[in-house]
Amino acid sequence: MKARPPGVRAAQVGIGLRQPHYAEWAERRPALGFVEVHSENFFADGGAALAVLHGVRATHEVSLHGVGLALGSAAGLDSWHLDRLARLVDRIDPVRVSDHACFARGPVAPPGRDGEPLHAADLLPIAFTPGSLDILCANVGRVQERLGRSILVENLSAYLSVDAADAMAEPEFLATLARRSGCRLLLDLNNLVVNAINAQRDGRSIQAPVAAACGFVDALPPGVVGEFHLAGHADDGVLAIDDHGSRVPASVWAVYRHALARFGDVPTLIEWDTDLPPLDVLLAEADQAVVCRPGGRPPAEAAA
Amino acid sequence: MSVQREAERQAVLLAGLFAAAPPAALPGWAERGERLARGLGAYRANGSAIAERALAAACPTLAALMGEDEVAALARALWRTDPPRRGDLAQWGESLPAFIAAQRDLDPWPYLADCARLDFAIRRSEAAADADTDRTSLGRLAELPPESLRLRLRPDVELLASRWPIASLHAAQQPGAAPDALERADAAVTLRLGESVVVARAGWRAAVTAVAPPVFAWMQALAAGRTLADALAAAGADFDLPGWLLQALQHGWLGKAEPINDPLGGEPS
Repeated sequence: MKARPPGVRAAQVGIGLRQPHYAEWAERRPALGFVEVHSENFFADGGAALAVLHGVRATHEVSLHGVGLALGSAAGLDSWHLDRLARLVDRIDPVRVSDHACFARGPVAPPGRDGEPLHAADLLPIAFTPGSLDILCANVGRVQERLGRSILVENLSAYLSVDAADAMAEPEFLATLARRSGCRLLLDLNNLVVNAINAQRDGRSIQAPVAAACGFVDALPPGVVGEFHLAGHADDGVLAIDDHGSRVPASVWAVYRHALARFGDVPTLIEWDTDLPPLDVLLAEADQAVVCRPGGRPPAEAAA
Repeated sequence: MSVQREAERQAVLLAGLFAAAPPAALPGWAERGERLARGLGAYRANGSAIAERALAAACPTLAALMGEDEVAALARALWRTDPPRRGDLAQWGESLPAFIAAQRDLDPWPYLADCARLDFAIRRSEAAADADTDRTSLGRLAELPPESLRLRLRPDVELLASRWPIASLHAAQQPGAAPDALERADAAVTLRLGESVVVARAGWRAAVTAVAPPVFAWMQALAAGRTLADALAAAGADFDLPGWLLQALQHGWLGKAEPINDPLGGEPS
């Protein structure tokens, strides 16, 4: 049994731990329900980053969140990537393993010198078609079989879309994925809001962003969500971008409260990747998430 | 059939992302005109930013020598000509030295490619498996003849030989470098004083040590798994084994000594 520091955030709320915070983290070991890291940052055979992660794991649950499996790639999974992930899962014994409903691999020009597919290192949007579903289910199944555990699959923010006659609505697509593959969903509520902003702006939706995002939440079956992501986004008035570079905005908090009411006490992550602020800012956001949860109390009150 | 349609749709977007200029249309995708340009532009810009961050992190020596903007430009160009193959960006970029060597406008700085090689050797060293020196095994040096013994280097040891003074150029860019370090490195470049280096972790960070040619030849032979006798022959008569052993223990280069023919008949582990 791992020792877990007591504290108001030791409910199921966590933060994404990134390299600039490693030293301060090691010194403070703040009370949190879990810590999430990007799996690929710990694929090395050894070295400092892996040692840091083992140190984190000594006191906290760790959620391994991937950005590179490219689960929706028609070209299939990279065996090397899956091998590295499996090794990391064995090393860390994470509380959850997740990646995205996206693609990134494909055999296109410029051709690989060895014929190997390229990897775009991005979370590229997939079509919500039966063909995509078959691809995603096969790839998710392969990952789950290799890891011997169920994974979570995250919805994207997307800046391009597919206009296919056989496309289904995204919630239906994701719910079917979960039912067929046995995975659960990592529901990124900021991504819902970003997509809703852009859809309204493009004239693809007449709904206000918060209402549209709440409608998405309501369209998912109960029990299918295994984690929420909360983050900030950038919006220049033309295109909203999910940059994880600011505080969680009021619109996302509103959708979070709605999602908690529907799905209950689901683990929740504060995600911040660009323009990283001091660790205390992330912890304050985590406190805010605690307050939103069933029975959540403000930190001062909880500490009294 | 529907899976094949998705494969084609994905290939269209990937081609649009890695093309020199963004395409005017993306068959299979919904957006058109200005909206397509914005959406595709967001992904292309993200790719460029990822490439810049990846090489800036991997190549600090190169960035110090060339300037951050120049390394960023190289990163964007390499991204499109030799895209990543893996979803782990630490695996991308090792073709940069060859890419630099092929850039005619960089001919006035012929040492840059090897400086990039050194940066990547440092990255590999810092990501290598953790290992200590098996000091007990070193007793075999006194027990076994050199033709029956092999010395294993630690996994974080990287060897690199250059026609340019890469250790001096690297050292001149480090915090706390002597005030005249860069001047001396420049002089060594003018004189084409090549350097051979050993990269190995000291704690979590890799250290770069310039070594004499016999030492380099010796360590190359060890890295190739040759016997102690063969490695001594490669090092030549000027090689000082006791002196090297002290240096190797001090720097943590040594993994272990192992017999080539195990008395029990098995392969050494």
